[in-house]
Amino acid sequence: MTGAETGPKPRGRWWPTGAAVGVTAVLAGLPWALRDRLPDRPATHWSGGGTPDGSLPLWAACLVPAGVWLLTVLATSVRPRRSGATARPWRLMTLAPTAAVLVGAQVSVVRANLDHTDWHQARQPVLGVVLIGALAAVAAVAAWRFTPRPAAVPAAAPTLEVPEGERLVWFSRTANPWLLLLAAIAGLVAVVALAALAVGLADPAGLGTACAASAVVALGCALFSSVQAKVSEAGLEVSFGPLGWPVRRWSPAAIETARAERRLPSQVGGWGYRISGLGTTVMLRAGDCLVIRPRGRRADFAVSVDDAERGAALLNTLRSRPSTD
Amino acid sequence: MLLRLDTSDTRPLHEQVAAAVRRAIAEGECRAGDRLPSARDLSAALDINVNTVLRGLRELRDEGLLEFRRGRGITVAEGASRRSGLQIRVRELVAEASRLGYSRTDVIDMIRGLT
Repeated sequence: MTGAETGPKPRGRWWPTGAAVGVTAVLAGLPWALRDRLPDRPATHWSGGGTPDGSLPLWAACLVPAGVWLLTVLATSVRPRRSGATARPWRLMTLAPTAAVLVGAQVSVVRANLDHTDWHQARQPVLGVVLIGALAAVAAVAAWRFTPRPAAVPAAAPTLEVPEGERLVWFSRTANPWLLLLAAIAGLVAVVALAALAVGLADPAGLGTACAASAVVALGCALFSSVQAKVSEAGLEVSFGPLGWPVRRWSPAAIETARAERRLPSQVGGWGYRISGLGTTVMLRAGDCLVIRPRGRRADFAVSVDDAERGAALLNTLRSRPSTD
Repeated sequence: MLLRLDTSDTRPLHEQVAAAVRRAIAEGECRAGDRLPSARDLSAALDINVNTVLRGLRELRDEGLLEFRRGRGITVAEGASRRSGLQIRVRELVAEASRLGYSRTDVIDMIRGLT
């Protein structure tokens, strides 16, 4: 029942439009086609417990899911114009599970209401809910598998001339003062909220949430306000934040290739630790990024640091050189 | 910044560290005001004891190439790039003189004798 959105492989230009139209047709057409066997107002919402607590007129039950679907399609179609092919994998990754959930929900709703005259008689489709979850997961995995990967590893990886008997180490560091400022402000809010909580100035429930939320924001922003990259004989080491923790490490043998690339926050979805169609990107500023392809992985890891070209070159040289000691 | 360490160098390690950073500053690898990687990071990357690294960095501070600042780490001092280039040449001169059998005082006297 959800073949329309995950089935076709990305080959021609017709398939995205075809799949979108197909899903819309299923969503809007299914209740309409079975209108003789459905109540005038099908039950559309259950809050656990089996009996429904919400209903919609038949026309709305047809159009609302279709509308949600079309809005999602529109929203995901805007991005590729701006950032080119990079956003495409995410489009499929978003649309496939959405389609699975919407179609699954629509089928469950229709099935629950089938052959009832009053919407109050419709039972909660428990099995349907479980199935929808499973279908969405399958659709997401299928979309991941069938998505075309970002361009294959470029053949001409830069290398660096390392004279015999010389040990080279490359360091680079990037800081984003805005993220640090944001962290400081959020930290201040957290402290003020904590103080107010201790004194008992306001409602503890709301204040506790505000305190916890701003503490999380402060911590997250502080961690990604600066990043240090280091290339040595031990490989690449990327450490975050003013404390240099957490750290990610790759030995030269664990890296297939390294290169430098220009990336923009709009390509990877913003600032900070970003996972997108381009792989993982630690984005602190637009511009030069050191990009590595870990061995045996299909996704890249990138970090926005200055002088990435030479870092990548040194990494490639270390990788191709048999370790001496 | 790119640091080069000569593995066949026979000088004490702290001098090698100082020489590597001096060279990096002279070649424009790091500019005035830039933050140096922490001594701990340098020690791990160069595979040299952290105290040895610190000793090398302190030598550079005494030469006026680095500034140690509490809370801001180690930064490259103002005008360090010109000074480090000159420092390297002076060291080469002294090394060459010693190879030829002249002591430091001889070299100083020679410089004083220049008009």
